[in-house]
Amino acid sequence: MEQTTPLLECLKEVYDPELGVNIVDLGLVYEVREEPERVYVRMTLTTPGCPLHDTIVGAVRWVLQENTNKTDIEVQVVWEPHWTPELMSSEAKEMLGYF
Amino acid sequence: MSRLPFLFIITGIIGFVMYHVFSLLSLTGWLGNELRGPEGWFHAHLFVLGWATMLAMGAIYQLIHVILQSNIYSLRLGYWHFSLFSIGLSGMLYGFIRADVSWIASSATLALTGILLFGWNMAVTLFRASQWNPVTISAACACFYLVLTGVSGMLMGLNFAFGEWNGLHERLFGAHIWMGTLGWFGMLITGFSYKMLPMFYLSHNFSIRLQKVVLYVWNAAVITGAIAFLTGIKGGLLWFALLLLAAAAIFYVYHLEQIQEKRHKNNPGPGIRWSVYVSRAFAVYVVALLIYSAQDTELLLHPRVVLLSGWIYLGAWVSLTILGYASKIVPFLWWTHKYGKLAGRPGTPLMADMLSERNIYWGLISMVTANLLLVCGILINLAEVMMVGGTLLSLVSIVYIANIAYVFRR
Repeated sequence: MEQTTPLLECLKEVYDPELGVNIVDLGLVYEVREEPERVYVRMTLTTPGCPLHDTIVGAVRWVLQENTNKTDIEVQVVWEPHWTPELMSSEAKEMLGYF
Repeated sequence: MSRLPFLFIITGIIGFVMYHVFSLLSLTGWLGNELRGPEGWFHAHLFVLGWATMLAMGAIYQLIHVILQSNIYSLRLGYWHFSLFSIGLSGMLYGFIRADVSWIASSATLALTGILLFGWNMAVTLFRASQWNPVTISAACACFYLVLTGVSGMLMGLNFAFGEWNGLHERLFGAHIWMGTLGWFGMLITGFSYKMLPMFYLSHNFSIRLQKVVLYVWNAAVITGAIAFLTGIKGGLLWFALLLLAAAAIFYVYHLEQIQEKRHKNNPGPGIRWSVYVSRAFAVYVVALLIYSAQDTELLLHPRVVLLSGWIYLGAWVSLTILGYASKIVPFLWWTHKYGKLAGRPGTPLMADMLSERNIYWGLISMVTANLLLVCGILINLAEVMMVGGTLLSLVSIVYIANIAYVFRR
């Protein structure tokens, strides 16, 4: 199923509170799709054992519930493929002073 | 989130303020006096246990599930640990002020029981998680050395009360300090830095080979030093332990450079930057001390060298590193507690909004400057310079920690 671009835009409201950059520009969202009964998200974090794991996943759920009116939100956090800094958008790199 | 880290961190902050208030009242005079007496014991234990250990324990309770990706074995044991340790430490400090052996003995027993519970809780947590890497092994070693430090302190107390092993008292005293400072704080700071620095620098794909080298060499330094004191050999063997420590510190600082080289975030915050700077300064001092004492290894036991080294290690490296990390840990804890469930909603502040980076930057520079003045005073043995440096340090330290504590009002 195709990536649902409007939902990806919604997920830009979710920030990594430490980095101050949204999770889409950070390249953490691998897949998001709206199905008839639920919304499915496959994402990662910048590092396994990130202390903000629950916070970020909770924020993803809340934003998607607010924007789709669906209560069944499945957020799957995966470590394959591993997140790499190359997945960041140029905006994110600029915000972090990437060089 | 559990309230346990808060309890330890807030109590640690209170201990830090108390230490500096008492230092101001004595105009740091206790530093220049004989440390082997009730006043010296009071200040040393308030600083080491009431501030640095209290905050370090809070950081462990907060970070252990992040590091292991599994929960702590028993939160209830953690609360028992907090109660026994806090009550025991308060009683010990009161006993030191009054020079009352029975107060010291009974309270030390409570504090040690708290430490043993902590050691047990950590051991079961670590063995259950079975994630053995330099971070977890360093944390395990740190906790093990803390338990040994507590046990050796208790043995000294028993000896003080019953006075049957006079020859052993001095040996236990050296090992107690060596394991408590280099073992507990050293292994904890190096180990946790391997996890925290890459997170704050957003570093990826750096080699972790040196983490294992530091782990082995630092441990070898702790064990060699403890053996030097316990056997009474000291001198040459202690110098060899210092050589190992210098090697470990150099490898550690070099590894921090490797982490920074692979960073993808330009600014990790002043607290993290300064933790790197003070680590470099510490490595330079250890090498300088190694060279200075090479002419005569007994110089390592000269009271002024001991005082200078003890202050540079605990007052500068350990304390400033903890203060630097606290500028990240405290806002993180409070933000997660208060705003974690509101993340993604409009109007929710970012973690960076919790604490002014500018204040942290100037606070750390002020503390480093005052610390340098104090160290110069010890170096040239001039009480007036020590007094000015120590007083300034206490004043700016109270302002700095008040700034961090203000996070709890946001």
